[in-house]
Amino acid sequence: MRIDAHAHVWPREGKLNSDLLERLVDACDRLEIAEAWCSCPVTAGMGDPETVRRYNDFVLEAMRRYPERIRGYCFVVAGYCRQALEEIDRCLNRGMLGIKLYHQYLINDPALFPVVEKAIEARIPILCHAGHGTDQETRRTQPKISDGVHFADLARRYPEAMLIMAHLGGGGDYEWSLQAITDTPNVYADTSGSVIDEGMVEYALRLLGAKRLLFACDETEEGGVGKVLGAEISETERQAIFWRNAAAIRARRVR
Amino acid sequence: MIIDANAWLGHWPFRPLRHNDVPGLLGLMDRAGIDMAVVASVHGVLYRNAQRANEELAEQVAGHRDRLIPFATLNPNYPGWQRDLRLCREMGIRGLRLYPIYHGYDLTDAPALELINAATEMGWPVQLPQRIEDVRQRHWLDTERNLTAEEAGAVVAALPRTSFIFLNALGLPPGLFLGAGGSRSQPIVTDISRVSAVLRDDMRALIASVGVGALVFGTGMPFNYPEPALLKMRVLRASEEDKQRIYSDNLRAILGL
Repeated sequence: MRIDAHAHVWPREGKLNSDLLERLVDACDRLEIAEAWCSCPVTAGMGDPETVRRYNDFVLEAMRRYPERIRGYCFVVAGYCRQALEEIDRCLNRGMLGIKLYHQYLINDPALFPVVEKAIEARIPILCHAGHGTDQETRRTQPKISDGVHFADLARRYPEAMLIMAHLGGGGDYEWSLQAITDTPNVYADTSGSVIDEGMVEYALRLLGAKRLLFACDETEEGGVGKVLGAEISETERQAIFWRNAAAIRARRVR
Repeated sequence: MIIDANAWLGHWPFRPLRHNDVPGLLGLMDRAGIDMAVVASVHGVLYRNAQRANEELAEQVAGHRDRLIPFATLNPNYPGWQRDLRLCREMGIRGLRLYPIYHGYDLTDAPALELINAATEMGWPVQLPQRIEDVRQRHWLDTERNLTAEEAGAVVAALPRTSFIFLNALGLPPGLFLGAGGSRSQPIVTDISRVSAVLRDDMRALIASVGVGALVFGTGMPFNYPEPALLKMRVLRASEEDKQRIYSDNLRAILGL
């Protein structure tokens, strides 16, 4: 059993990119991934409420097509506070299981506090794009990408929140971020991303413990599965990462 | 049989590597079911005098030549590389792995072309890693530049008689592998450590446009877990014959094994 806690569907020419969805489902079939938790964030610019709603509709459409395979995160832009809270209600009522944030705001920006409080109330996780990029390109193009320090700051303010720091393997110096969140037990890390550094999963497990790690791919399917399979950890820990932790998070939701 | 085109021995200064000595690497290969591996010394990337790393490497793999195929690192701007190249051959080294970004030259500079030509004359293939690590996690003293497709294309076009093996590469255009007007006498291949067999499905796209001869198996271990590359091969939609070419036959032909 494997649950991919960080996956995506995307638009193409104003519609859900069906070809990519089919490829994702095919990849899940071939790599024994039972569920892919998908979002469709606006990745360039702020994202107005109408666009955000349309993008979330793409996720809902994918969920309808593959109700057992595709689960959804509701993407919101916190600056549009009222619309963001309404959009979360709309998406949760249609079966989504969490909230997705991108890098429009740092995760500890006060603009996000109402969204975080909403997530606490609904007992759902917040998955946020993350990384400590040490190269100029990342700093130039993603000035508000959140790293472990930002997550830890928010986690201390809201210890009831379930925060998922995205893609250990996709966002720069993961050791920096892991060091920062070690003492904030309500921050999880997902293992996704194209970086497949040998020992990465073991180091994350050493700092966070197996219960705070979530298997994920973020479109690096073989790398995502392979790094957890290759990690020198116990089978109990591997299964916790592959699916048990995600299943426990999903089960917490208020119905 | 599985041969890994992309393995390493030694220390990387910016994070600890495990399984990075001969017993460790062989253990990792055994776990992954990998029979043989092309290895270069990580130290050759950053030693001022790369030949010192080649000497270490030759000593390390002695007694394990049945499984480890050593590749040398040389800097064409460093005095005496011609002698070092000859010594490397005498030490049983079988090819070159070059780092133009770390060593501060362009692949089409005259000294680089001279070095690659000299290796070609000896029947050696030349490996070009597009990167060592992802630049987004670069140490503040490390480079933040990858070898570009344009740089790769330029050296390939300049040297049609050389067998090139790209490592850790992504985004190389299909045309690069074919050569202008089919003028190449030696193959150009890329290892599979960064391409995919699902979603983007780079591997099948490359097979369709260039042929299965463009791919060789490679993991990047011990920088990387070997399992992702093995998974790619498992899920790749290709015939068993084509898979065997990727696993080992293409590289064996280049190395003359």
